[in-house]
Amino acid sequence: MNDKAAIRFKGAGVVYPNGAVGLAGIDLEIKPGEFVVVVGSSGAGKSTLLRSVNGLTPLTDGTITVGGQPVPKKEGRELRRLRAGVGMIFQDFRITRRLTVMTNVLVGRVAHVPGWRAMFNLWPAADREIAFKALERVGIADKAWVRAGDLSGGQQQRVGIARALAQEPAIILADEPVASLDPVTTHQIMRDLVRINEELGITTVVNLHFLDLARRYGQRIIGLRGGELVYDGTANSVTQEDFKNIYGRDPDAGDVLDEREAS
Amino acid sequence: MSEAIDAATTRPLRPARNWVLIIGALGMVSLMTWWSARGIGFSIIELACNLPGGRRLLVESWPPDWSFFPRLLGPLLETLQIAVIGTVIGGILAIPIAVLAARNLTPGFLVWFVDRNFMNILRTLPDLFWAMLFAAAVGFGPVAGALALTVFTIAVISKLWSESLEAIDMAVPEAVRAAGGSWLAMLQFGAIPQALPHYVSYTLYAFELNVRASMILGLVGAGGIGMVLETQRSTFEYPRVTLIVLSVLVLVLIIEQISESIRRRLI
Ligand SMILES: Nc1ncnc2c1ncn2[C@@H]1O[C@H](COP(=O)(O)OP(=O)(O)O)[C@@H](O)[C@H]1O
Ligand SMILES: [Mg+2]
Repeated sequence: MNDKAAIRFKGAGVVYPNGAVGLAGIDLEIKPGEFVVVVGSSGAGKSTLLRSVNGLTPLTDGTITVGGQPVPKKEGRELRRLRAGVGMIFQDFRITRRLTVMTNVLVGRVAHVPGWRAMFNLWPAADREIAFKALERVGIADKAWVRAGDLSGGQQQRVGIARALAQEPAIILADEPVASLDPVTTHQIMRDLVRINEELGITTVVNLHFLDLARRYGQRIIGLRGGELVYDGTANSVTQEDFKNIYGRDPDAGDVLDEREAS
Repeated sequence: MSEAIDAATTRPLRPARNWVLIIGALGMVSLMTWWSARGIGFSIIELACNLPGGRRLLVESWPPDWSFFPRLLGPLLETLQIAVIGTVIGGILAIPIAVLAARNLTPGFLVWFVDRNFMNILRTLPDLFWAMLFAAAVGFGPVAGALALTVFTIAVISKLWSESLEAIDMAVPEAVRAAGGSWLAMLQFGAIPQALPHYVSYTLYAFELNVRASMILGLVGAGGIGMVLETQRSTFEYPRVTLIVLSVLVLVLIIEQISESIRRRLI
């Protein structure tokens, strides 16, 4: 398998300038092609963990290697090259509403084409083809020339996923990708992410708040609490007791998406 | 019971007015007005005495000399052309200047600092100053006027637009960075689209200002209708002056209407 897709944390820590601890002493290895779900209550460090992988949030301690290469601490060519191979999906979609769906997806190609081509909208045919394929994979190719802001929430998140896919990434990081969506759309998007992971073998790390989603869609579950790793195991073996430990309290109805699964 | 008492005690009293401040401020303004009026010899009585003179001027200026109109068309067109050139070149140059001056987008403190101060200098100096400067540099005529308006346009747009840019949501620009995008890609796909309607709006606004300004610029020899105005005024051809003022008024009103209706649709 493609070892570009391996992520290794060694004593990784983040202390924010205001003194808040984002991550502390994380030792973790994510293998190529894995589908990992990260759970933890709000402020546990889930976002910090993902953002340190593509250098959006630099580590203050330890190291992270992606495909054997340490993540550079400063903005620059090296970091851009690493990011080109790592797609990111956000809770708030982060697409440009005023531009077409196609242009938003082509943003996934910016690191792969010369700057002047992107600047004058002269994308090579091969890159347009990759963008179209990405849209087809998430089932919204018919919306290619629609203004992105005119789509529904679920469709906008699919644009976000297609943009990540257009990067032809080895890794996809998804930071609470379904937190702004209704339950039906939530399951559709989660199934999309699982299917993409299975079909393309892209290493996928997904932050989730809901326990039932984590258990249903994750292969491996990682629990964070106060920036520290407090759980690491398979989705099948995780117990109510483990969740209690991760959340520091008994899980309640607010921690599951479908009430009927709460018990 | 105790709840009612609680509510009464927590409801804050209206603070007393600061009369000292109010009277002090009014006194300051009165004093400064009196001092300034004395300084420039501004007197209502004297104004009233001079009213007949003003009336004579109005009577002499009416009716407008319509026969002069054909000779105005060329200069009017030139005025419009000066404004167009100034707006287009200034509008383009204002883009990088505004971006570098926006705290959230600038690549570094030093660039930001230099650009900010450059912008402030452009804005502090009046358009008439630039017109005289360029007239001295490239000779009297419309080119000097267009150059002066270019600087004026940069000053207007860059200041207003850099503030719009500072107010954008940085979430999408960050997503472009996360996809491996460079600073330019971040600007093009993440930042600028959010503030594009503002840019168009400010550019149209600058065009309105430029049409008006290009009349004044003619007074110092920078081409356009203002130069005709100046020659007619200095030879006391008041009916012609009236016609010139009326035509400029109509031109400016038409352009304002068009630009206003476009801008309303944008934001
Ligand atoms: N930009 C930041 N500046 C300061 N503190 C931050 C910042 N981002 C996150 N934090 C702090 O770091 C900790 C972890 O945050 P985060 O990674 O966002 O958690 P999660 O995604 O699990 O909710 C929290 O205490 C949070 O307040
Ligand atoms: Mg978060």
